[in-house]
Formats: sequence, C-alpha cells, structure tokens
Amino acid sequence: MGPEVHSASTQRLVDNLSAKLRRRQIVGSRAAALETLLVLRQIVSKARFSNIDQLVEIIRNAGRQLVEAQPKEHTVGNTVRKVLHHIREEYNTATNGGALAQPRSAFSIAKFLVQGQPRQQNVALKSSDNKQPLKENDADDPDSFAKGLKPVLMEAIQDVLDELETVYDNVSKNAKDHIHSDEIILTLGMSRTVEAFLKSAAHHRNYTVIVAETGPSYSGHDMGKALSSSGISTFLVPDSSIFALMSRVNKVIIGAHAILANGGIFAVSGSLLAATAAREHSTPIVVCAGQFKFTPLWNLYHEYGALDFGDPSNVLGFEEGDLVDKVDVVNPYYDYVRPELIDVFITNYGDHPPSSIYRLIKETYDDEDIEL
Amino acid sequence: MPPKQSNPKDPLISDDDEVLQAVILSDSFNKRFRPLTRRKPRCLLPICNAPLLDWTLESLALAGVQEIFVICRSYATQVKAALSKSKWSAPNSGIKITPIMTAKETFSPGDAMRDIYTRGLLTSDFVLVYGDLVSNIRIDDVVRVHKERRKANKDAIMTMVVKEAGIGHRTRSRGESSVFVLDPETSECLHYEPVMGYPRKSVARIPREVVAAHPRIEIRNDLIDCQIDVCSVEVPSLFQDNFDYGDIRRDFVHGVLTSDLLMKNIHCYIAKEGYAARVQDTRSYDSVSKDILSRWTFPMVPDNNHPADHAYEHIRGNKYIPKDNSVVLARTCKIGPKSLIGPSSSCSEDTTISSSVIGANCVIGPRSTISNAYIFDNTVIGADCVIDRSIVGSNVQVKDGSRIEQGCLVGDGVVVGPGAVLMPFERLMKKDDEGEDANEGDDEDEDEEDSDEEDLEEYQKNVKSVLGKDANALVWPRGPPEDEDDEDEENVENFTNQRFMRLGDDHSDLNSDSSADSSTDNSDSDSDSDTESVTSVATSTSASHVPTTPTIAVPSSAAVAEYEFRVEAKQSLERAFAEGHSVDNAAVELKTLRMASNVPLSRVREAVVGAIVERIKIGGEVAEQRKEIASVVSRWGELINKIGGVDAVETIAALQFHCAGSDRLPLFGQILAALYQEDIVEEEDIRAWHALPASEGAEVLPGLEADNIKKCWAVGERMIQQFDEQESSEEEDGGETDEGEGTTEGEGTTEEGTTEDESEEDSD
Repeated sequence: MGPEVHSASTQRLVDNLSAKLRRRQIVGSRAAALETLLVLRQIVSKARFSNIDQLVEIIRNAGRQLVEAQPKEHTVGNTVRKVLHHIREEYNTATNGGALAQPRSAFSIAKFLVQGQPRQQNVALKSSDNKQPLKENDADDPDSFAKGLKPVLMEAIQDVLDELETVYDNVSKNAKDHIHSDEIILTLGMSRTVEAFLKSAAHHRNYTVIVAETGPSYSGHDMGKALSSSGISTFLVPDSSIFALMSRVNKVIIGAHAILANGGIFAVSGSLLAATAAREHSTPIVVCAGQFKFTPLWNLYHEYGALDFGDPSNVLGFEEGDLVDKVDVVNPYYDYVRPELIDVFITNYGDHPPSSIYRLIKETYDDEDIEL
Repeated sequence: MPPKQSNPKDPLISDDDEVLQAVILSDSFNKRFRPLTRRKPRCLLPICNAPLLDWTLESLALAGVQEIFVICRSYATQVKAALSKSKWSAPNSGIKITPIMTAKETFSPGDAMRDIYTRGLLTSDFVLVYGDLVSNIRIDDVVRVHKERRKANKDAIMTMVVKEAGIGHRTRSRGESSVFVLDPETSECLHYEPVMGYPRKSVARIPREVVAAHPRIEIRNDLIDCQIDVCSVEVPSLFQDNFDYGDIRRDFVHGVLTSDLLMKNIHCYIAKEGYAARVQDTRSYDSVSKDILSRWTFPMVPDNNHPADHAYEHIRGNKYIPKDNSVVLARTCKIGPKSLIGPSSSCSEDTTISSSVIGANCVIGPRSTISNAYIFDNTVIGADCVIDRSIVGSNVQVKDGSRIEQGCLVGDGVVVGPGAVLMPFERLMKKDDEGEDANEGDDEDEDEEDSDEEDLEEYQKNVKSVLGKDANALVWPRGPPEDEDDEDEENVENFTNQRFMRLGDDHSDLNSDSSADSSTDNSDSDSDSDTESVTSVATSTSASHVPTTPTIAVPSSAAVAEYEFRVEAKQSLERAFAEGHSVDNAAVELKTLRMASNVPLSRVREAVVGAIVERIKIGGEVAEQRKEIASVVSRWGELINKIGGVDAVETIAALQFHCAGSDRLPLFGQILAALYQEDIVEEEDIRAWHALPASEGAEVLPGLEADNIKKCWAVGERMIQQFDEQESSEEEDGGETDEGEGTTEGEGTTEEGTTEDESEEDSD
C-alpha cells in the first residue's frame, strides 16, 4: 500500500493509530475522528507532492489503512473523505480562482434556509486576493506546488478540526426551539451531544428528562448524573419501562454512532426498542449528532455483522461457569434504527429529515472517495 | 457509543519513563500436545487460525508492553524465524522483540529463569507469561498496582494474575488447578497449594501461622490461574539462589510462601474485567477456542484485530467467514454456530460444521460432519467423514468414509482411510521416511524419537483402530507407558492426571468415586469468606497441628520426618544444655533443624518445652525443687519464644501434654508458675489456655492420660482462682503477691501429684 511518498515518520503515525483503533484503545466516534484528523494533518504537512493526485493518493492510502484497521468506527473514513473533499475544493479555488467551486455549493440543501434570507457576504468572499494560479508539475521546482498549496490546506484541515471541536455547541445552539417548557424528554445512554443539547435547552426551558439505564453498559447512569448535576429534573428508569412510559413522553432525543445515507442510524443498543415504542405512540424521535457522523453507507440489507459486537462479560459474567459453556451470549454495542422511525436530525449544519441525508452526504464528500 | 473499555491514558506516554518489559517462555516444558508438536513447538500451533505466540504477543501489545524477550528452547530456530517474520518485528510496531536461545539443558521454567538471570536482561519489574497465553487483561494496570505496592513494601516481589471462574468452568483446568489462600484486604497470597485431578486431593493444609496472623482469610479454589506474573527483578535471582526451583507455581510460589528465611510476599490480582487463559493442554485448546469464538477475548476476535491479520466477517451465531470471498460454501452445506472457516477453504454439498475451526486451504468433502473439531491448514477431508472432538493437524488427508471421534489427535501430514475408524483418544503420527528428519539437528527430542520408532512399529500389531489401506500413520501407544509404571504419582504429568487435560475426555469414571466429597472439601465450603466459615477452618487446621488430634492421616514420610526431627531436636537440646550454649545459638540450631525436616512450629515448641521439663531434676525438698525449676526456667525458658514465633497458649498446652505423659506431672504447676515469673507466659495466656476445650482433655480418649490432663487443668484452674483473688486484694499487697502465688501453687501440686507411669504421649 504505502508508496514511496510515505515517509517513515508518517507511516509510524498511521501504524500507531491503526493499532490503537484495532485494539479499541480509541473508541467513540468523535475521539476517532479527532485522532484521524490529527494524523492527516501531520501527513499533509510532511507530504511531498508535485500535483494534486499525488497528495490525494497519499491521504487515501493512509485513510484506507485506518479504515481497514477499524471498519466499525465509521467516522475515521468520514474524516478522511471530508479532508479529501476540502483539499480538492481548495485546490480548485487555488488553480481556477474559485470559478469551479462556486456553482457547486449554490444550491446546497445545507444552506437551503439561508438562501431564502438576504445575502450579505456571498459575493465579496472569494475575490479578495486574486493571486496567480498555482502551477502543477513544475519541472524546475517540483516543491513549488506543495509549498503554495500547503498553507491553504492546513487552513482547511484546521477548519475541520474547529468544526469537530465546536460540534456540541453548534448542535445545541437551537436547542430551545426544539424543547418546550414542561415537556418530558426520553433519552438513552450517554451521548455527549445529547447531553450538551439538553443542558443548553435547560438555560431557557424548564423540563423533565427520563433517562433509560441502557443495559448492558448502563451508560444511562452517567447521563442521569450529568443532567441532574446541572439542575435538570431527571429520572433514571430501567430499560424495561420504556414502553410503559412512552405515552407520557413528548419527545425522544437520542444520539447516534453513525448516520447512514438512507437516513437510518447506528445508535447505542436499546435505541431500536425506544424508537419502535415511540413510533407506536407517535412520539417524535429526534437524533442529535454532528455532521462528521454522516456515513456514505446505505445498509439496505441490514447485515448482522455491520453492528459491533463486544465481549459478553457485561451481559453474563465469565465466572458463571456452567452457563458460559451452554449459552451463547451476544453483546451488540449498536442497534440499527431504520429511517422510517426517525423524524428529524439535528446537526451542526441545521435540521434535516432522514430523506435528505443522502443529499447532504453527496455534498459533504466527493463521489470518488466513497470507496477509499 | 461503546463503553470506554480502555483507560484513556496512553501506556506509551505514562508518567514513568521505564520501559515495560515482558518475558515469554515459549516452551511449555511438557508434551501434552504430541504428536501435533512433533515438528513444531506448541507456541506455533494455530488457534483460531493464528499461531498461539501471535495471540500472546498481541495480548502483551494490548497491555502496552514495549520490550519482549522470548525464551526459545525446543525448535528454537522455528520460533525465531516466526518471530522475525511476524508483524511485531516491523520497525513501526512499537515493540522490541528479542529471541533468546536457551540451552537444551533448560528443562523447566526455573532453568529458564536462571538463564534470564545470568544474562542480566531485565532492568525493572517485568511481566512473565507463557507462549500460549490468550488474554485481554490490562496488564499495565496490574503492573501499576504492583509498583504501588512495591513502594510501600519492598518484599512484595510478585503479583499473580488470576481470574474468577465458577466450578466446572470449561476454561479452568481440572488437571492442574490450585488453592489460593488470600488476605481479602491486601490480596496477599498467604498460601498456595497445587491441586491435581488425579490423585484427587481432599485436604488442603493451611499453616497455622497463616490463620493466626490474619483475622480474615479467603480460601479459593475457583480461580483460573492465568500464569501472568508481574515479577520484580529479584525473582530471577531467587531462582538462581534456589537451584531446585523448577515450576513457577509448585516450587517457586510454594517455596517463597513457606520459607521463613526469605520473608518475601506474593500477591494476587483478581482480574475483575478481561479474559485470560493459557492453552496448556488439548482440553483448554478446545475451551479457549470456544472463548475466542464467543468473543470473550474482545477486542481480539476473528473479525477484529485477528493476530494473523485475517479479515473475517461476523455472522449471526458467532460464525466467521473470510471477508475476501475466497471460501467456497456449497448451497446445501450447513455451518453451525461458533464456527470459523479459514481463507480459501471449501465445503462441499451437505457438509455440516458446528463449533469447529477449519484452517486455510482446507477441503471438506460432501456429506461430511465436523463438530467440535479443529482442523489445521491445507487439510483435505473426503466424503462421508465424521470428525468429532478431535484435532487434525495440517496437510492431513482423511479419505472417504473415515471416522475420527472423541479426542483423537492426528499429526501433521498423516494420511488415513478410506474407511478408517479411529478408537477414541487415538494419537496418530506420520510414519517417517528415513532421512527426512536428519536435518532437524536442533530437535532435542529427536534421538528419543528414533528409539521409540521401533517400539511403535511393534505396537502397531495390537492397534484396534482401522487405518485404511492408504494410511501412512503410526498409532501411538495408549494408556500409561509400561516402562514408567513406577512413575511418581505426585507429578502433574502422570497418566491419569493427563486424562483431565485431554480433549473430549469427560473422565466420568474418575469422578464417580469421590465427586461428592471433593466438591464439598475443596470448592464449596472453602470458597466462602464470611467469618463464620473462616473460624471453622481455623479451628480445624489448628487442631490438626496441636498434638492432640491425629485424625488427619499424615503421609508416612511426614511421620518419619517428624520422628527424626524429634530425636534430633532432643539431641541438639541436650547438647546445648550440656555444653552451655547461649540461648540464641540453640535457637538457630533448632530453626535449621526445623527447615531441614519441614515440621510445623508447634512441634518445635513441644520439643523445647519437653526438653526443658526433662532437664529439671526431680527430688529434694519442696524449696530445693522450686529453686531447681526456677534456675532451669530462667536459664532456658527464653528459648521457647526464640524458636521462630511466640504463642504462649500453645506453650502451656505443650507443657500440659508433656507433663501428662511424663513422671514430672507433679511439677506442672511449679513450672507454669516459673514460666509466669519469667514473663514467658502471661496471666491472659493461662486463662486462654484454660478456656480451650482441648486443655480439659476433651479430645483425648478417656484413660490415664486424660486424667492427668484433667489434673493439670485443675491446677491451672486453681492458679486462675488465685489470680482472681489477687486482683481483688491487689490494693493491699502490691508486688509481693507473685512469689506467694508461686509457693502456694507449688505446694498444691505436690500434694495432689501422684506419680504416674508414662503413658505414651498421644501420637499421630
């Protein structure tokens, strides 16, 4: 895989990260995305290339290795795709003066609402510094292309990084529009995004949260503690009572591990139970997640192995000698929640119905990167 | 989001910059896998299609180990080659692996440790594991705990990682398990006893000192000994000092814990999370394979972080099929749960596979059934075969219509069939063409092998199995080897015990006789840790060492040793008395004697008390007699407390029982008074002794001796009455009372005393 353009030090970084991903020393979609981005930044800053294809190849190679190391952390691949997309965009603006990049984003669904509003900055943005286009494959100075492009690339990567770091704030900035006073919200598991969302809404509204324990990880306990410590009236309930309580719940808010192109999600196990119960009662289901979780994966024939299966010790202790031999225990981390069960996604790019996710993904990533 | 199962702290940038070192003993030092291990070491046998050693290395890498020494002995060149080829030797792996070729004369783990010591490889605390370990325990946490403990206590030299497992757990070895006596608060291992499947052990002997020194103890027989040891640097040097230490558990741990001279502690770490087990026999090969397929070893499972870098797809029912679509599965073949099929293998029509592992490039013929079997790479199974609970090596051909059932081991390259029918537990190896193995010069078993060959040929005549006309196999003899009939039953490798380690052997015939009592003896009652049961254990064990109770049958060799000790101790003391040694010198002499014959402390105490009592001359006036007693006691009484432990209550008991059996019965009260005056026994001790039921002679059969014991007890009672009186009248007369006490006491005894003929001191 590694072509000669890979220097030993960046290869070490990639190896190191892929080992950690394989050994599950880095878990969680945001942590994985952050680590991937840091490695990619190193690679770009150290890479030697004389045209854009070489750079893309370097990043793809690294990305492919990381994704192969841990296909279950979808954000790794997403981050690689996103970086590639940004690099191409920057390249286009740098070489063609932005003429090509402009029309692509003109009818973006992400900016659908914004486009109806009076535009202030649209024109003045790009034309400020119209410097000489960069020259590729310069025979006299092969590094000139890299030298010219790198600063903007680093800036673009920094933008992605900033986006990742502010994702919780951006997702939750409109929280008060989604949660109304005296509502009862049901949530599952420990999602930092949902936590930030609920806390942000609590500044403006007075409402109640019911947290399901979410076995077998019981991460709902942490969630309950976190919420009640910031003054939200919180109930912790066993998973078995989700259905019974659903008639009183106004809204179900859950986090996601990955948002798929068809509008379905992978979310902490138990989400499917809650979503199905909510559908039964026609309770709206809201998914809060950062845009970095958008995954170009359709999951049309939901395959068993697509979910991540941990070790059974959370479900059945290893010391239960007799049972261990006779019972096969599975401990899936995630449920696949079908798009029909979800009402709306709240992301840092605005609110979207499941049916428009495929379009957002198409805009976020380049088609040629879907297979890394 | 999955629960964060790893601690976020990167082990590579932990606060202490010390490199975490590990030692892998890649040799198993036994032959349980033969004939599969005839041409390659056990650590290179595949389990779930990756060599065992790779699982071990990945386990260590998972724990953040940075430097690994692999001790290679048998087939060292193969191990070395495998290491240099593996991904761990790549410069970016972050791990430095050094193979160490040790001499052929390394016959035990102890020898390997001595080799490590002489090479001086280790600089700090290190992790010691075997090359057949599969684990996902965070060993770095154990190391951290170990280092913390070392800061407080320099003598905590080793931490053993154990894993809780219930009775009858498939992964817990039956043939080789252990009883751990732990202090639940400090998790110090106080006592260790190896347990074997056969001969069955029904008694665990816990030294009395352990019970005495610790208010709470846990006696546990439900632990899987993962044999992951975090050792301090002095551990190899201890092996060096004690050249007879062979096994790490049976010799080293047991030796360190029972030694009075080393004063070192060993701790246990009961892993709450994670999985660890050794593939130490074919039975555990089966259970560890199943554990891997049931994902207990997560994140090391076939579809994630597979040590050989195969990519498998996880299918409902814990089935694993390679992702690269290289496997050909016929439409009508049935793959049952807990199965793993290696890359480029094919299954024909109507084959049934369940709970089995098929290696790479295997071909399974039509209508064959494979269940609970392990088939290594490049093996061809014909049509209509049945393979059950067996291990089939690589490059094997099993031709049409063969049956391999229940515990068979088929060595590499064997051809059997067509129509072969193997008896249960048959072991096959390939018939060697001459000259083939001549180049394997470094194979240490080679010469032994050759001599066996002819015996084997001989043996083939009375083999009951049908091998088929194309067979090239030799059947290994079954049953215990005749020439080793006198084999030491204490050895773990004895034949019957091996049966507990055999794949597919339910050893029901061995269990039936004593299963009921064994479970109560070893597992059920002892594993409770509540105070109630501890006290019951305590009394029973203390009773076993107090001279009164010979109920527990002591092996005759121990009895002989004790008798010898008694004689020697007597002589030694007589010498000391005669030549006027200092008390300290006499004490040292006794200690050495005790080490040599390995007797409990109480025996030494009896001997000393007895010798002192015998030293006192009988006769003369009452006053003279008292003077004599006082002089002897003041000269030698101190010795009683210098033999290695102070237990005044036991001293009084020893005195009582000695007097009861000797002609110095009348002197009991006076001697006791003298001891009291010399501060060797205190008032509380006398009361405590008096309160014991044994002191009243409760445990002795009625007879002359029991009467004597009762008499002594009565004396003690009077003495206590006097204490009570003295307490009430303490204000009137101050320090003088002591002497007066002694006087009255002495008179009381002499009056009462009737000289008895010596009845044998109750013996065991």
